[in-house]
Amino acid sequence: MAEEQKTKPCRFWIWALTSVFFRLILISFKGNLNLSSRPEVSTPLTSIRRLAEGYWLKQASMSPYAGSMYHGSPLLLSVLGPLTVQRIKGQPSHLLCSLVFVIADILSAMLLRGIGQKLQMAYGLNARLLGFLKSSRDKVILPCGDIAALVYLWNPFTIVSCVGLSTSPIENLAVILALYGAVTRRVPLAAFGLVMATHLSLYPATLAIPIIILLGYGLDAPPIKLFLQTRSVENEKSSTSTVSKQAKSKQTTRLPFLWKTVVHFLFWVLLWSLYVLVLCALSLNKYGGLEEMFKRTYGFILSIEDLSPNIGVFWYFFAEVFDFFRNFFLIVFHVNILFMLLPLAIRLKHRPCFLAFIYLAISSILKSYPSVGDSALYLSLWALFVNELVDMKFSFFLFCGYLGISLLSPVMHNLWIWRGTGNANFYFGNAIGYACFQIVFVVESVSAMLNHDRALKRSNSNHGKSQELSH
Amino acid sequence: MKILMLVMLLCYSFASSSGDTTIHTNNWAVLVCTSRFWFNYRHMANTLSLYRTVKRLGIPDERIILMLADDMACNARNEYPAQVFNNENHKLNLYGDNVEVDYRGYEVTVENFLRVLTGRHENAVPRSKRLLSDEGSHILLYMTGHGGDEFLKFQDAEELQSHDLADAVKQMKEKRRFKELMIMVDTCQAATLFNQLQSPGVLAIGSSLKGENSYSHHLDSDIGVSVVDRFTYYTLAFFERLNIYDNASLNSLFRSYDPKLLMSTAYYRTDLYQPHLVEVPVTNFFGSVMETIHTNSAYKAFSSKTSNSKINSEMPLNQLSEDDELQKANIPNDELKTEKQKCPYTQMRVDLQEKLEKLENVDTVVNLSIAVMFIVVMVSSSLL
Repeated sequence: MAEEQKTKPCRFWIWALTSVFFRLILISFKGNLNLSSRPEVSTPLTSIRRLAEGYWLKQASMSPYAGSMYHGSPLLLSVLGPLTVQRIKGQPSHLLCSLVFVIADILSAMLLRGIGQKLQMAYGLNARLLGFLKSSRDKVILPCGDIAALVYLWNPFTIVSCVGLSTSPIENLAVILALYGAVTRRVPLAAFGLVMATHLSLYPATLAIPIIILLGYGLDAPPIKLFLQTRSVENEKSSTSTVSKQAKSKQTTRLPFLWKTVVHFLFWVLLWSLYVLVLCALSLNKYGGLEEMFKRTYGFILSIEDLSPNIGVFWYFFAEVFDFFRNFFLIVFHVNILFMLLPLAIRLKHRPCFLAFIYLAISSILKSYPSVGDSALYLSLWALFVNELVDMKFSFFLFCGYLGISLLSPVMHNLWIWRGTGNANFYFGNAIGYACFQIVFVVESVSAMLNHDRALKRSNSNHGKSQELSH
Repeated sequence: MKILMLVMLLCYSFASSSGDTTIHTNNWAVLVCTSRFWFNYRHMANTLSLYRTVKRLGIPDERIILMLADDMACNARNEYPAQVFNNENHKLNLYGDNVEVDYRGYEVTVENFLRVLTGRHENAVPRSKRLLSDEGSHILLYMTGHGGDEFLKFQDAEELQSHDLADAVKQMKEKRRFKELMIMVDTCQAATLFNQLQSPGVLAIGSSLKGENSYSHHLDSDIGVSVVDRFTYYTLAFFERLNIYDNASLNSLFRSYDPKLLMSTAYYRTDLYQPHLVEVPVTNFFGSVMETIHTNSAYKAFSSKTSNSKINSEMPLNQLSEDDELQKANIPNDELKTEKQKCPYTQMRVDLQEKLEKLENVDTVVNLSIAVMFIVVMVSSSLL
């Protein structure tokens, strides 16, 4: 076993390095394999060509948002803009940008591994506390960190969005940074990640809830009731587990909420957001300032001005809605995400990492301009929970569904746009199928997690009964 | 700001050079052939030749109203079906592709002609059949057929009289449907047709004087009828040498008519037309060459241009300079306001804004700040 454990890290690094080499090989192909023109990869928010256009406009002393091409952050423009212009002789264009995205992917994978290792430790600890494991070797706990990192690196969606030069790797990095900071209790890092992720694309703002829960209550754990059941059983055994001591002393059914950390976190969020806003105001001083930035970035995301086809479901609908009803339907579509936040938070507050994953999955289904880069993120976060989601139903069906949709999507797009033998319904049918598979995925993973908790509860009570009987 | 002034100056000079204060925006052509029947082949060939010339020099079909009887090309007597020639060498097929006839057959009537000129149509008339000119348009009106002393015969059934034409032109002028109008008539005793014209801005040329006939140029023995009239033939000879970039003047066109070759006197009247013929390029009427003004600014300039550029033709230049001064005075106005309020916060903000405006390397500052941000993140996350 020790040898296996030693070779496992080696195998992880081998696989990780292989994926990096694979990306570097793909980058060296001319024209990025035309992936940057695929609507599934580059949306109006993440396209590198629009970023290059925004940078050119800025260099020509015009507002980068002029002409409604670029809709991202001005800070991203300052960082990535010069890289889009520099050309190394003999190499494909945008090589430096591709290298930046590869580095972003590597960093995300490493951070995911860190999150996974923490989660794995917490899982083992909780299992031992609940009395399932006599030692850490009894039941094989899967190394969810390694698995999640490898899933992220080898997911075809991630590779495609990295090689296809969309800015999704950077957005994903910001989100994973926020989660890593929250999991390892590094408050400034978590605040920075959250602020950057919200600044780059609006939807990670929903992650504020799971991050606050993470900082306040701690990592994912089975519901507190199970611990209390164990405590009542072990009361008679008078064990010295720390949780039962805490529970005895407190005599309440509530976990302590660490207000100090949360206030600290909010302070840092405020600090970083002020800093980012001041920087944006500085760089857009002559071109309309912050108001212009908010109108063109967040306003663009919320008002869905661009109706070019993508892998989401909004463009088709808003192409045919009457102007009179447009605002109403915009509100409906955006509230669709918002109204799910609170019930999920109530139900899954004992598992904040999983809650973050569900929020990310929902926002990547229902966001204005989805792309495969968003799916890459939540699929790898899903892999963090392999220990709990072992018994997920329909996994093969979903795998085949995702595979089929991603293969059919370019075909339908080609039929519609290039050959003219299909029409928008072909492509939109594909997008609807993709949304359905994603929804089934989300629903099944939540139900698998809740079933896992119920199974724990049942086995815990059985365990308790058996202990009582033995007494 | 300077560019706007230049634009204003240019427009003003343009306006002043043509006598009234509107600028020349587009060119229209109304080409009328008033004859039908096979032996009037040459009139249709005249009109189609001019149609071709005018299209070649840039006027699009949307701005050409072509009125033809259109019974030559597919006439049973035509040896060359669907082809109309204006020369016996048959080099040029005038009825090739891309001929858009707006009024054909029995629609070419005096009533329709006058409706086209005055713009008083019934509701159901489509836009392609309307003369949608505005007060900046230059219109070329070319008429050919059989005419006489102060009249022009329409399709062997009715006639257009010179005072009808003058009345229509007067209505057009009052309704501001043209800036300049050039009437070119190729009939017998053509110059009498515009005897009654009195509206300013009209230039008229006819192929013959009162008492003279206008003759055909040559007979095509293959087709069996004359294929072109002399006046139009020499007009075309002048234009075939030109392309869209030449700036031959109207004077050179009018001087090119030789009475001996025409066998009539090409008479033109310029008493209603102010500009000197030497200065007016032929493409002002026969082509569509637009004046383009190059500015450096692209997107933003449009928003400021549309707000400032409602070119009010009565606004003299000194008012414009006052506007500039007002805009320059806006910045000291803000300072006046803050001095009045004497609030330290707004004073600080104004100072900060001035400092920022003076700061040229905003980009380097932003880049440095981003680098500082990353360093702070790493430091704080490792410490706390």
